[in-house]
Amino acid sequence: MIVFADVTKRFGKKAVLDSISINIKKGDLLFITGPSGAGKTTLLKLIYCSERPDAGHITVADWEVSRLSQRGIPELRRNIGIIFQDFKLLPNRTVFDNVALALSIHGMNPGKIRHYVNEVLEEVKLMDKANLFPQFLSGGEQQRVVIARAMVSKPLVLLADEPTGDLDVDNAKAIMELFSKINGKGTTVLVATHDETLFQGSGYRVIYLNDHYIEKEYMG
Amino acid sequence: MKTVNSSNNIWLEVLRYSVKTAFKSIIHEKWINLLTVLTVSTGLTILSAFIMINTNVNSALQRWAKNFGVVVYLNEDASKEDEFILKKRFSEDADIENVNFVSKDRAFEEIKKTLGPNALILDVFNENPLPSSFEFRLKSNSLVPSVVKQKAAQIGQWPGVQEVQYGEKWLASLNTIVNAMKIVSIIFGTAIFIAVTFITYSTIRIFLHRRKEEIETLKLLGASRSFIRLPFLMEGLFIGTMGGALSSLAIFGLYSFTMYKMVEFLPAIRFIVSSLPLYVYLIIPAAGAAMSLAGSFMAIGKIRY
Ligand SMILES: Nc1ncnc2c1ncn2[C@@H]1O[C@H](COP(=O)(O)OP(=O)(O)OP(=O)(O)O)[C@@H](O)[C@H]1O
Ligand SMILES: [Mg+2]
Repeated sequence: MIVFADVTKRFGKKAVLDSISINIKKGDLLFITGPSGAGKTTLLKLIYCSERPDAGHITVADWEVSRLSQRGIPELRRNIGIIFQDFKLLPNRTVFDNVALALSIHGMNPGKIRHYVNEVLEEVKLMDKANLFPQFLSGGEQQRVVIARAMVSKPLVLLADEPTGDLDVDNAKAIMELFSKINGKGTTVLVATHDETLFQGSGYRVIYLNDHYIEKEYMG
Repeated sequence: MKTVNSSNNIWLEVLRYSVKTAFKSIIHEKWINLLTVLTVSTGLTILSAFIMINTNVNSALQRWAKNFGVVVYLNEDASKEDEFILKKRFSEDADIENVNFVSKDRAFEEIKKTLGPNALILDVFNENPLPSSFEFRLKSNSLVPSVVKQKAAQIGQWPGVQEVQYGEKWLASLNTIVNAMKIVSIIFGTAIFIAVTFITYSTIRIFLHRRKEEIETLKLLGASRSFIRLPFLMEGLFIGTMGGALSSLAIFGLYSFTMYKMVEFLPAIRFIVSSLPLYVYLIIPAAGAAMSLAGSFMAIGKIRY
């Protein structure tokens, strides 16, 4: 589903990722971990074409991401759900509208949108906050809105960048259960985190990034 | 590859979303939008007022030009055949209309009629001294000094023709006025077009700037180019159309008021000042829409995606 073949990414002279190769199969759930600045976010950005590699090849499903033209990017992104480290919620839209946006861009009609958004807000337990603006939500609640927005279109791939950064242990556990559930339905899930408790003893594959290469790979 | 069940008509939904987003923005940014609409309508009102004046001056000129006549005097010894050939040539010329032959005798009769009791002085002539002549008018689109001059010279060469007379100076000044009006219209129209386009361009640029983060997020979520751009085009379209509609109202008001006030002093104004044709009131909003759309297009060209 996602293949990195000898991918190198530099910022200026400094290589953040140096000749990285990863093979993620359809339906996998996988963790990317490593210290701050190791390149976890950069790795995810390469998948959704927010950054382009300096060398190597990246493929996601049928897309040759490393060769994708500007015009091809929107369609790729519509098939990837992204939980951004910095949320990227729109402050002038309600929780409902923020989540609905991910379906509007698919050209879905308002009736269907309402159905799917309500369903996903139920799942992240935010039904009662649907009509609030993001700034009136706690950090953890905002985090769950972002998760809802990423899930609602039932994407092929779900990318989560520090999805539990603002959550307490119980909420973090709930989110992980949500991810397992989505993964169980066939979505490939990639979680970038430095929170070891998320994967310890989970049995999921873990990739440890350090000093611009993959230092180790093991089962959590 | 579709991961969610999209509706059958994606374009319709994108359009619906764009209109909704545009209207939200119109309400949210009501002051800057109102200001832009008013500026656009001011520009278009000035343009339409100018068009109205232009139309009136033009129709006055048309009426005036109708009186432009050419007289071709014949030689003393011009034969019947010469007359016949000339008549045929005049009636076959597409630029010439209302050809009229005035024979020597009829010219004499007419002058006698004009002089009335004083016609006695004509008795000093043993013979009728007046020449026969052709009189005709030129179609208004061939009333160009150089064309008329050339035609007159040509006719002057034809057998039996003594002299060709027409109001050369009069024609030159008519032409100067018409040309000046054409140039002023083009300059004026272009200036207003640029102004209206630029005003909308600036306003849409401001909106783009204010919604920069939103656009970035939309891109990351996978919104298509049209999904991002269409709302801004819709807003530009709205600004132009509203500006044009307001301007139509203003022009109609201005016209009605002028008529109402002027008729008191100058009843004949009713026949001199013609109203704008009805379609112009529809063309103004359409023109405003087109100009604003052009401005919006230029503004959204700045979105790199
Ligand atoms: N656009 C950029 N320009 C220059 N340097 C960048 C850019 N983006 C990232 N970097 C650098 O690349 C390195 C990796 O950044 P990245 O955000 O991928 O780290 P991370 O593993 O996600 O860290 P964290 O755990 O703190 O989120 C950092 O040293 C960062 O400063
Ligand atoms: Mg990061």
